[in-house]
Amino acid sequence: MVGFKVPSDITQIPIVWKYELLKYLRSWRLVASIAITFVVMGLIFFLPPAFGRPYSGTDDFQVKSNEMINLGTPTPYLPYSSLTIIGRTGVVVSDLVVTVNGTNYPSDSWFLAKMSDANQIPSFISDLQLSGTYLVLFKDNLTGSVVTLKYDWRITAETFELLNLNFANILIIICATFFAADSISGEYYNRTGYLIFPNPMKREILFFGKYSASMTAGVLVVGLFYIGVSGFSLAAAGEVDEDTWKSFLFGIEYLLAATAVGYVISSLLKGTTGAIVLTFFLLFLILPIVDGVAMFTGVKIAASLTFAGGVMIYILQDPYPVDTTMDFGGSPFSIYYPEPSVSAFVMLAWAAAAIIISLVLFKRKQLAG
Amino acid sequence: MIEIQNLTKTFGPIRAVDNLTLKVPKGETVGFLGPNGAGKTTTIKILTNLISATSGRALLNGVNVLTKPKLALSHVGAVVETPEFYPYLTPLETLAYMGSIRGMHSKDIKVRSNEVLLQVKLEQWRDTRIGKFSKGMKQRLAIAQALLHEPEILILDEPTSGLDPRGMVEVREIMKELQKQHYTIFMSSHLLNEVQEICDSAALIDRGKLLVYDSIDKLKTLSKVVKLEVTTVGSAPETLLGKVRQLSQVRAVERVGESAFLVTFEGPVDDRANLLQGIQSLGTKVSGFSPVGLPLEMMYMDLVKESR
Repeated sequence: MVGFKVPSDITQIPIVWKYELLKYLRSWRLVASIAITFVVMGLIFFLPPAFGRPYSGTDDFQVKSNEMINLGTPTPYLPYSSLTIIGRTGVVVSDLVVTVNGTNYPSDSWFLAKMSDANQIPSFISDLQLSGTYLVLFKDNLTGSVVTLKYDWRITAETFELLNLNFANILIIICATFFAADSISGEYYNRTGYLIFPNPMKREILFFGKYSASMTAGVLVVGLFYIGVSGFSLAAAGEVDEDTWKSFLFGIEYLLAATAVGYVISSLLKGTTGAIVLTFFLLFLILPIVDGVAMFTGVKIAASLTFAGGVMIYILQDPYPVDTTMDFGGSPFSIYYPEPSVSAFVMLAWAAAAIIISLVLFKRKQLAG
Repeated sequence: MIEIQNLTKTFGPIRAVDNLTLKVPKGETVGFLGPNGAGKTTTIKILTNLISATSGRALLNGVNVLTKPKLALSHVGAVVETPEFYPYLTPLETLAYMGSIRGMHSKDIKVRSNEVLLQVKLEQWRDTRIGKFSKGMKQRLAIAQALLHEPEILILDEPTSGLDPRGMVEVREIMKELQKQHYTIFMSSHLLNEVQEICDSAALIDRGKLLVYDSIDKLKTLSKVVKLEVTTVGSAPETLLGKVRQLSQVRAVERVGESAFLVTFEGPVDDRANLLQGIQSLGTKVSGFSPVGLPLEMMYMDLVKESR
């Protein structure tokens, strides 16, 4: 007789995790996810320069007369008489050369200020709502003069990563679809439940083993993407944005919740195809449409999972964007942004609720017929 | 030991299992018979925690599988329907997975995996991914995983389903071997000869209700109806067949050859002698007179017909 003692619940979880993970490691889904990740990263990195938008260069241009603004008489508070704007991010300040009417303008007569830095910009200038990245303030009134600006620039890590990490949101939905949507329904549809269920193991243990394997596969793909983006950011901008790790953590939290939603659908439906399609469309289309319509009607649904998930992108922006209302053809139009602390709570709440619901459904689901 | 007590399972208005009570003693092999939709698989699914019961108890070694499935299933090996396997795993990996869940040591898993794969003749496929396996190979593997931890109780639902005739014989040989080793085996089957060959006793259910449960030997004697093949010397004319039909306790007569016919006869064994005398008294020389078909089959047909 073989001697054995059925392991405790907690020690059965890693056993299920190991063999479930093997499923992903040996399937085309993980390979496809990683391939999609690399293809997208490559496209985002290489296409802009290919289309004539390099990540660094030198600008040398004449300021248009309507872009030179007269500030009036200098004061001790603001010792400048005129200003112009630079729309480019990542200007190398030390390289800026200003010429006025063909003569070099001394560097102690101008000041370059970053518009996003409130400490550098007097409030009345902020009120002008100028669209640009930098302000060049001149001690003299240069309206009417021929002013040229020459500087080196390089894309900032923030701009580069914002461009790239928009895809992280879609990647997380792909991971939830590939690694969660048919995880439970597959046991019924593919009849593998007949093999695994008659074992001395609770359904909730099987669930947590599967869920942790789905998360592992998802974190692997999303992590690879973040590592790739950080590497490309180093190559393009010479640095990695300081908020990248926060974006990654929010991304993992979003993955946790999206995967749990995938498990709810998987526990609810009998077929695997239906579960896969519904998970993808719910996270990619249905919830974002609800978010969009709500925003259009002036309602902020902070409790929406996909709305909260946007925090992983916005967290890169300095300063963090705030809700704004604009006049749009006579009627107000609001743009809402998820608040980081609220979003963190919302995503955790979605994950917890979805796990509980799918566990209840899974435990009640019978292998009949 | 398996003990089913007043087990009921309803699916909407349908009572798939109706107040079923059954006991499989330790070390016995019990066949579970019944027509399609009788409730066999539903009962087995309840015993293996695949579905819940509406009421009643299902005890495996004294532990109710409905309330404590983990404990109850710890010493059970099961094959329910033809299970599908994870196609990305090999037989060795599948057995390692099942063995680990059941708490076997890795060394035991290795040894037993080789033994059971040899037993079901899958040793040359041990490292091939199951995705490429035929239904018969999967059924063999299903039996292998059920035997892996040498469970005290084996619950098998149509264990030879999907196998070719040779595979069926081989599985039956395995079952007979297990029976000798005094495993407690509860198996459903449509194949009455299989049950007759392997099992100590059999339970017959129909529409979820237990019709009869007894030893195979006793069940064989339960049938009141028997088919007897009568062979005559020379041809058997139609007039003879008509006269045989008129004899007492004869239910039907059917020609099967120039000089042979089948008589469906209802009555105890002793009365068959009267039938033979009756046919001979019609002026026919009888060269053969023997029952055809399995006794268990006749009993099955009898009881199922009665219950409907």
